[in-house]
Amino acid sequence: MKSSLVKYSNSVMTVVMLAIFVVLVGLASGYPPGARFMPLVVGIPAIVLCLLQLALDARERRRGAAEISDTRSELEKAGEKVSRMVGRRVDFRISHEFMPGVGPEISPQEMVRRELVLWGYFLGFIAGIIVFGFWAAIPVFLVAFLRFQAKAGWLFSLGLGIGASVLMSFVFERLFRVVLHTGFVTDYVLGLFGG
Amino acid sequence: MIDTMFSSLFAMLSSPHIMGLMLIGVFLGLIVGVTPGIGGRLSIALAIPFVFGMDMVGGAVFLLTMHAVNGTSGQISSIMFGVPGDGDDAATVLDGYPMAKKGEAGRALGASITASGVGGIIGAIVFAIMIPIIEPVVLAFSPAEFFLLALLGITFIAFISGRGNIFKGIIVGFYGMILATVGMDPQTGTARFAGDYLFLWDGLSLVTAVLALFAVPEMIALGVKGGSIAAVSLEGTRYSYRQLLEGVMEVPRHWWLVVRTSIIGAVIGMIPGLGSSAASWFCYGHAVQSSKTPERFGKGAVEGVIAPETGSNSREGGSLLPTLFFGIPGSSGFAVLMGAFLILGIQPGPKMITEQLPLVWTLIWALVVGNLIAVIFLLFICRWVAMLTFINGALLVPFIVVLVAVGSYINEGRWENLLILVGLSAIGYGLLRAGWPRAPFVIGLVLGVIAEKSLHTALALWGLEFFLRPLSLVLIGLIVATIGFAIYKTLRPSKALEESGAVP
Repeated sequence: MKSSLVKYSNSVMTVVMLAIFVVLVGLASGYPPGARFMPLVVGIPAIVLCLLQLALDARERRRGAAEISDTRSELEKAGEKVSRMVGRRVDFRISHEFMPGVGPEISPQEMVRRELVLWGYFLGFIAGIIVFGFWAAIPVFLVAFLRFQAKAGWLFSLGLGIGASVLMSFVFERLFRVVLHTGFVTDYVLGLFGG
Repeated sequence: MIDTMFSSLFAMLSSPHIMGLMLIGVFLGLIVGVTPGIGGRLSIALAIPFVFGMDMVGGAVFLLTMHAVNGTSGQISSIMFGVPGDGDDAATVLDGYPMAKKGEAGRALGASITASGVGGIIGAIVFAIMIPIIEPVVLAFSPAEFFLLALLGITFIAFISGRGNIFKGIIVGFYGMILATVGMDPQTGTARFAGDYLFLWDGLSLVTAVLALFAVPEMIALGVKGGSIAAVSLEGTRYSYRQLLEGVMEVPRHWWLVVRTSIIGAVIGMIPGLGSSAASWFCYGHAVQSSKTPERFGKGAVEGVIAPETGSNSREGGSLLPTLFFGIPGSSGFAVLMGAFLILGIQPGPKMITEQLPLVWTLIWALVVGNLIAVIFLLFICRWVAMLTFINGALLVPFIVVLVAVGSYINEGRWENLLILVGLSAIGYGLLRAGWPRAPFVIGLVLGVIAEKSLHTALALWGLEFFLRPLSLVLIGLIVATIGFAIYKTLRPSKALEESGAVP
């Protein structure tokens, strides 16, 4: 299931890249010769490569991903390499959950759900910054994420979220003298009160 | 040369600003190395906004030391808990963890930390020795050849990171290059791909693009994966400082192995395309093959800890050579580091020898001094640093996302960069999810502007004959050979896998 998902997303990504290059090359072709030169030098070969990649994706699907991709974990590969070197079978008994990039299998539906939730947090945070400013969005985002996503306790979430926000405010505003975006709504409201 | 060498060392050691930045870099690098979910590339990407606008030398020293000592602390969790920090540390697990289980964690840690530091120092020395040897080759390149060098850099990094499919890497590299053309064209004054959006007229923010392609996708992936390493035995964490000292003494006891594997690691680092974990595995293999008692390996042989650590860390010095002199990063981590260097105003190429030699020497000394500091530091605190392994990844995600948003905003002070961050992050996550490499994007983006200028200069000077110049032909030959070999591997996958040991 996982490999078919990877295969599918592979082709989707190729189509996305192809679309990007086609649009950019199309736009560039309307520019004066000097301005369109580099985008065309890069964009046209990229379109050819995307088409080649689509053909490779189709070929891969036909042959079956299992035949041509090495799906073994790093640990299994390591065991194989060392077995060859020492001339006897070596089996490293380390749980897969401890290896980088290897985790318990997550169902595709669960994975998509988690991805949507995380993208929701991210987009909400960015929207919050633009509308209400950094210093309103940061504590809300930190506390909400720690409490509801990382499943930390209320006290821990509030303490860490607010504490970190205060620390960051001190570091950026006082120490680095960086003025961060204050947010359009916040500016408007402060404007109403003469702030 | 000798004057420059020692004046750079003196200038570095006598500057509280640079030494302070180095200490911070070492400290952060060690912390990041042992914390799950934050790799070397991500830490560099996160640090870029904070070095933006910093002086060239200070920023470069900070980033390089942070990157260089990453692997030194990554091994701690490999030995104590059998949990490698990243692929480079996996080789250390093989003998380090069995040693810890036998009650020799202190000896393994002492040996690996010292070996790692010594490897880093020897790697820097190998790089220094190579400077006069490589100088004539570097000086043969004119700025006009930078276009082909940029293409070669993308090809190599696409080969390294493409996992058997070079096309994906090149497409991503070209994506970076075409995005580098966004903004006002210096030749004609045309606003390319910018429309009426004034904030795009200056081009895409490099910092935002790098953060979007690396940091946000990694954080979302970490959040999806969630959880922390919880159920490991803590028996390996008990050791005495006497044991640690015994481990330190193992390094001079195996000095010849240390020298050999350090040189092997540095040479592997100099050859782009061999991948980041190749050095540690190759050195481990060398230790096994050259041992009179190879049957001890995998059961807790101290040489099995020393060899991969020296190799892995000496690679850093070696990788710096193609990165600085040819603009071809030796690994994907160095691709991001090179992007950061370019943002700081360090332009790889012949000028590094003709005009920036003091900076090159400062970076070499930074590797030496940074590694020494890291070793001393870690020998005292590794017991506590190891506990960072148990940090829940989900707790880190929101803080890093906040740093990413702040970093994206502060380098230009434009809220519109946050919108670009969202758009490019979506592409970045798509690439990550589909298993496409992202490192070539950085090379394409950062070299795109220089490559375009170089192409215009070359065509103005030589016309199309530029492509027939001897150096151009060599570079084109290298590009074609790399792509040809990669296509061969793609079309003959079974044989390639068999050769690489994947098919038993």
